[in-house]
Amino acid sequence: MQMQRYFDDVAAGVEAKLAEAGPDDLVARKVLALETARLGSRLFSGSETVAWCGVLAPFDLLHALGVTSCFVEFVGATLALTGGTTPLLEAAEQAGFATDSCSYHRAVMGAALGGLMPKPDLVIATSAPCTGGLAVVANLAAHFQAGLFVVNVPHARDEAAVEYLAGQLRVMVDFVTERTGRPLDGDRLAVAMERTNRARAALGEAYRLAATVPTPARRRDLVNLGLVAPLSFGTEAGVRIAETFRDELARKVREGVAGVPGERLRLLWLQNRVQFRSPIEELLEERYGAAVVADELNTVTWLPIDPGDPFTGLARRALALPLVGPVERRLELLTQMAADYRVDGAINPCHWGCRQGTGARGLVEAGLREAGIPVLNLEVDCLDERSFSEGQVRTRLEAFMEMLASRPRRPAAEA
Amino acid sequence: MSGRVGFACAYAPLPLIHAAGLVPYRILPLGEAPDRAGALLHDSLCPHVKRVLDRVLAQDLPELEGMVLMLSCDAMRRLADAWSTARPGDRLAVVDLPVTDDEGAVERLAAELRRLADRLGQWSGAPRTDADLAASCDLYERLAAGLGRVGERFASGALAGGRAKFQELLNRSVSEPPEATLAEIEGLLAQPETRGAERLGVPILLVGNVLPDPGALALVESCGALVVADDLCSGSRQLAAPCAIGHGDAVTRLARASLRRPRCARTISSAEPGSLAREVVERARAVAARGVVVHVAKFCDPYLARIPALRGALRQAGIPTLVLEGDCSLRSLGQQRTRVAAFVEMLEA
Repeated sequence: MQMQRYFDDVAAGVEAKLAEAGPDDLVARKVLALETARLGSRLFSGSETVAWCGVLAPFDLLHALGVTSCFVEFVGATLALTGGTTPLLEAAEQAGFATDSCSYHRAVMGAALGGLMPKPDLVIATSAPCTGGLAVVANLAAHFQAGLFVVNVPHARDEAAVEYLAGQLRVMVDFVTERTGRPLDGDRLAVAMERTNRARAALGEAYRLAATVPTPARRRDLVNLGLVAPLSFGTEAGVRIAETFRDELARKVREGVAGVPGERLRLLWLQNRVQFRSPIEELLEERYGAAVVADELNTVTWLPIDPGDPFTGLARRALALPLVGPVERRLELLTQMAADYRVDGAINPCHWGCRQGTGARGLVEAGLREAGIPVLNLEVDCLDERSFSEGQVRTRLEAFMEMLASRPRRPAAEA
Repeated sequence: MSGRVGFACAYAPLPLIHAAGLVPYRILPLGEAPDRAGALLHDSLCPHVKRVLDRVLAQDLPELEGMVLMLSCDAMRRLADAWSTARPGDRLAVVDLPVTDDEGAVERLAAELRRLADRLGQWSGAPRTDADLAASCDLYERLAAGLGRVGERFASGALAGGRAKFQELLNRSVSEPPEATLAEIEGLLAQPETRGAERLGVPILLVGNVLPDPGALALVESCGALVVADDLCSGSRQLAAPCAIGHGDAVTRLARASLRRPRCARTISSAEPGSLAREVVERARAVAARGVVVHVAKFCDPYLARIPALRGALRQAGIPTLVLEGDCSLRSLGQQRTRVAAFVEMLEA
């Protein structure tokens, strides 16, 4: 009830602001917040069929099956902005979950142990992006005594891997149907895929627009978009989110409005942003005229899904995501993004406890440096503000930015 | 038998390597290689993987025909990422390892193993046949059974040297030709029993992932414990039998056996996701352990995530538990000697 009330309040507040917004107001971020709050409210309402999932679950397919679903990391990330994560982390730690583990996962275990998570009707785990996430989703299934389906996401991307993953998604449909009594409606799935493709196209265009010099995106406009948008894939809400971002950025590009006035330096942000309120982006913008123009996870790496063969398309999508596969593939994407977005440098927030992204810190740094992209490894915990050392972070950022500012600019990056 | 093929995870298909005429060589996290892996990956990564990578970076490896890396967890995936940077000239085969043991996962792993078999055949110049693989599976089953019998003798005091001596044998069993270890086992089993010569301690079950240093095991037993059984990937889970289960060709049966072997925490039972805790309780009861020592490598997510449930299940079963974290080395365990000794004293009381 507590969580549902929170999401209802957020939704009501954002709806009121949107109702007051004029045609020239920037609303994309509010639309994202509204749809995210609505999803949160449905998850906690007790009246819908709910699945707690791993990050790579096919949320559009689950929508088509009538299941309201979400990856478990959502809980901690959502509460971080309100400062509500600390009690969850403390609850998990008191129960014996190690502080060396990822705080996103500790937060969700704390929420479950504290009775803040609704009992799901089913649980869908995914073996990627990380072993820690898989373990915590399996823990939730055990905690709630809910049916668990595990999707093995192959490391490779060849046709055998696609076929294997597509086959598992078909079996997953049977698993869901057995528990909900609702078979998959082919027409409903086709509609969901069509909406996914529309959202995909609009997101791709939004990211392309964000690469404009100067970028039209303000410092927090695109935070978490690539992670949160897939939760609404397959729905009209998902299309609305993506198209609102696209249209808003397009308008700003047309009108020559810079997201960071006087943009002087352009940055690529790896992995996740810091989820709680921190001075990082403000410092970058106000002191150095630096804009975070690209987020690693704000990418469309997959092709449109053929509604006539959705399982193959969904499998190809999962395998194309930057969170899957060897570091070479990730480096290839990051290097390409650095060129496309004409960045001057990259910031890698080495999220404590992350063996997936942070685990490759040295290799990523070396690979990007080889491509001529300086990297700042910022040792932080993106969710746990208790361990945030503002002074230390500030000092490291300042040194990095001063180094970037003293370098000759990339010709293409000049406005 | 010709050259060696390196591996670093207990899920590596040793019979497949052996069937190709190669000797599996486990790169254990032992030795004194300087700590350098953190710079290539990250310091907060599994110490097992970091110490293996430290050995690689220090050139502390024998000559290898190639390296087989099982993608069993994030840390192993990062090791695969780093390997080519650390040893650019190596022949490397990575094997995708499903996290479940259903038939779809078995088929997927079997396909991966067939691909691996082709690579191994290229490395050795001697492609394997189904008959070769069946013979190698049989050999490894005999090896696992022999190790089980020898382990019981060490635990009962019938063989001198305790768990440390047994660990030396376990380490050799994955780094030398299996035929040699089997011959050694036969020799040990033929030795007269020395029952009574060894001081027997308080029976404990040792649970966790990687602890191959004989000195670490000696330290535990020097505190008055007797390791009567283990559930470690450098111990009883290292060479698990059977090597072939169910229907299908030899590779499919090996794949099924690999996924259904005693579980590392990275492998999930969809039907019973919390089964690891139940399995440990059952094992502790089966071997009449008076306590359980859980030794987990720091930063190992699969185990760290299971510790609260494991601790809870053991508490509910009335089995005292000591949880330790370490870096797979004697050094880190040595710092916890007092805790081990206090735990054993509590069990004795």
